[in-house]
Amino acid sequence: MGSLRKLLLKCEKPSRYTGGEYGAPNPEWGAGGFNFCMCFPDLYEVGMSNLGIKIVAQSFEERGMCADFCFAPAHDFGNGLKELGVPLYSLALKAPLADFDMLGFSLQYELSYTNVLYMLELAGIPLTREERKGGKYPLIAAGGPCAVNPEPLADFFDIFFIGDGESVDADVAEIFVQCGGATEQFYSKISKLDGVYVPALTAPEYDAQGRLCAFAGVSRVKRSLIEELDSAIFPTRIAVANCESVHDRAVLEVMRGCYRGCRFCQAGFIYRPVRKRSVSTLTEQACALIANTGFGEVSLNSLSTGDYGRLPELLKSLKGALPPEITLALPSLRVDSFEGEFARDSRKTSLTFAPEAGTQRLRDVINKDITEEEILRAAENAFNAGYSAVKLYFMIGLPTETDEDLQGICDICDKIRAIYGRQKRAKALRISVSAATFVPKPFTPFQWERQIGEEEVKYKQNYLIKHLPRGVKFSWSAYYPSLLEAVLARGDRSLGEVVLAAYKNGCTFDGWDNLFNEQGWKKAFNDCGIHAEQFVQERAEDELLPWDFIDMMIDKKFLLSEREKALAGKVTGSCLSGCKACGIQKHCPAARGEYDCV
Amino acid sequence: MIAFKYTKTDGAEYISHLDLLRHIDRTLRRAGIEVEYSQGFHRHPRIFMGNPLALGVRSISEFCAVDTKFDGDFMCEFNSRSPDGVKCLAAKITDINPNFAESITACSYETEGINAFDPGLVLEREKIIITDLRGRTVDIRPRICAVEWQNKKLNFTLHCGENNLRPDLFCNFLSDAFGGEAAYILKTGSFGDGVF
Repeated sequence: MGSLRKLLLKCEKPSRYTGGEYGAPNPEWGAGGFNFCMCFPDLYEVGMSNLGIKIVAQSFEERGMCADFCFAPAHDFGNGLKELGVPLYSLALKAPLADFDMLGFSLQYELSYTNVLYMLELAGIPLTREERKGGKYPLIAAGGPCAVNPEPLADFFDIFFIGDGESVDADVAEIFVQCGGATEQFYSKISKLDGVYVPALTAPEYDAQGRLCAFAGVSRVKRSLIEELDSAIFPTRIAVANCESVHDRAVLEVMRGCYRGCRFCQAGFIYRPVRKRSVSTLTEQACALIANTGFGEVSLNSLSTGDYGRLPELLKSLKGALPPEITLALPSLRVDSFEGEFARDSRKTSLTFAPEAGTQRLRDVINKDITEEEILRAAENAFNAGYSAVKLYFMIGLPTETDEDLQGICDICDKIRAIYGRQKRAKALRISVSAATFVPKPFTPFQWERQIGEEEVKYKQNYLIKHLPRGVKFSWSAYYPSLLEAVLARGDRSLGEVVLAAYKNGCTFDGWDNLFNEQGWKKAFNDCGIHAEQFVQERAEDELLPWDFIDMMIDKKFLLSEREKALAGKVTGSCLSGCKACGIQKHCPAARGEYDCV
Repeated sequence: MIAFKYTKTDGAEYISHLDLLRHIDRTLRRAGIEVEYSQGFHRHPRIFMGNPLALGVRSISEFCAVDTKFDGDFMCEFNSRSPDGVKCLAAKITDINPNFAESITACSYETEGINAFDPGLVLEREKIIITDLRGRTVDIRPRICAVEWQNKKLNFTLHCGENNLRPDLFCNFLSDAFGGEAAYILKTGSFGDGVF
């Protein structure tokens, strides 16, 4: 570290790059014959908040292997490393990334793709699989939610991990050790495992019109699945970030998966079935986390924590077991599960709801089965509990949306304001509305839908700017990043060259508004002769989709029937009201009538 | 209340002042040392730090006070749960808050790497005008208390708190004037009421 002292002092937040976090695992180079580096293609303070990468790293540690971390350095430090000729290194061991046996990238959002290339280049590793051929380089692997459509990044990775990462990643490492390296035998063996996709063994084929028509080679890849969450790996000895991370608190994974089946929500489908941890396990984990980290807050994370059947029992158990000054955070509470009792905290003044759509008709289309009465009742409860600010999340551009639905967003604000005004309250009400542009994602019933174009986006945003009641704070997402997100989410292998060209044009940190380089991306599409818009058009239902060879254990027929019901404005409801036979029943506790954890 | 002296070395010198406050809060919680909370609307733990240390400057003389009724072996418990480089060197119980941020008025430092020069050339000057980090010109001479060589190391004492002079700025001035470059800066001592 000494040689980097001058560079560190020139950079913002140098403690991002020094390692030595309290509680950080102490990896031993060469342990178990396999060195793994968990790479996160975004800044330290973002990655340090991510639970998934800690789970994956621990899965290697538990098998006696070496596991270290690396995050994307900000430009000041990255450029400094380049100038000094120092290759990107891992956090704890300060080992050059190129010396590891495997780099595992966590793909959490599409707009982090160019950062994978940024990190590889800083590490002195050729970016494409083709260029690495025959050389001695680490296996370049990826996992996480975006890996469910791996094709846009297929040129860059040797291995994709699809599905739960608790076990298969380290299984592959063991096979690597047995085979003495990345031999043909190694690839042949791992490609037979659930959850492993080797892009070199699969080739998309196109017909004369340029339409995808077949997958040659390995034509089916099934996701990996951890059936039991209660006993699954959960790291309770975790590193406390040197500088404040975006979620600077202890995080429990209360459950994985979501019963609700909102039709736009990719997480709601790819994390099925719902699996839960028990009250006793969660209480033990919370106590261990607080004792090991010293955090002052415990966050109960899941896609919909209000659907955890024993939530009151869990809260009681946590309050009884944790020191009194520890606060509990409950993100992802659905409107209808909001209860004043546990959301009440005298210091908090703002509450966030996500109705997603402005009218009941459109909420039925997306299967968000909450009513306006429920939203308003929840708001009233919150106001009576002392809240004086509400944040409302909506989407624009959902299938079948009309002006009436936009007007509905405005009307909800009016009604919330009326409710607040029913009583004399100490503070003025603050309402903020945020409207993101809908992004159709793979493995959802909306995977065939189009994304609205630039003119429509502007029209809808302007409509809201004009019609939202005065005093409502309105924020919206820019058009082009949303388009890019949809393109990268739904694209095929042809996008590899665009991602590469965009990176070469200087695009990195695309998810950061202030660093987003729209011109760089536009030029990349242009130079590659690829129209971004073609990927966001409506897809035919009989069309072969770029991710169709991935088996997420959800029936395509189910997704199609959900799409039909959506367009007919029919609600399916949640798994809590009976099994809807999505295809994963054999592995689903709820399908067996088990809604409660042990 | 417990007042304690601690280090900021071995990588901890890159941790910012606000982050260090968080680390001390968490170290105390991990160590089971219960800290009293303020009773205001925004309750916060009653931890009172000394003046912030410039990023990258190491120290074996930082001071902090915490409001606690803890009567065990503070140093031992703290050090078993603190991050690398943040280690307690001494601790004592005190009835009143020493308010180190105000009481410490000067600190001594050592550095290596700046070319040899006669300290008289600095101390005998009436005025030393430099440009500070915000681009303002300031006379730093009144803020320099002592400069002397001991073997190859340069020791110097600067005012801190009111009329503060950052040791890294002072070293930059010396580099510009005499050549060489500070390879490191270490705070070795603090002067003022209540230090130990």
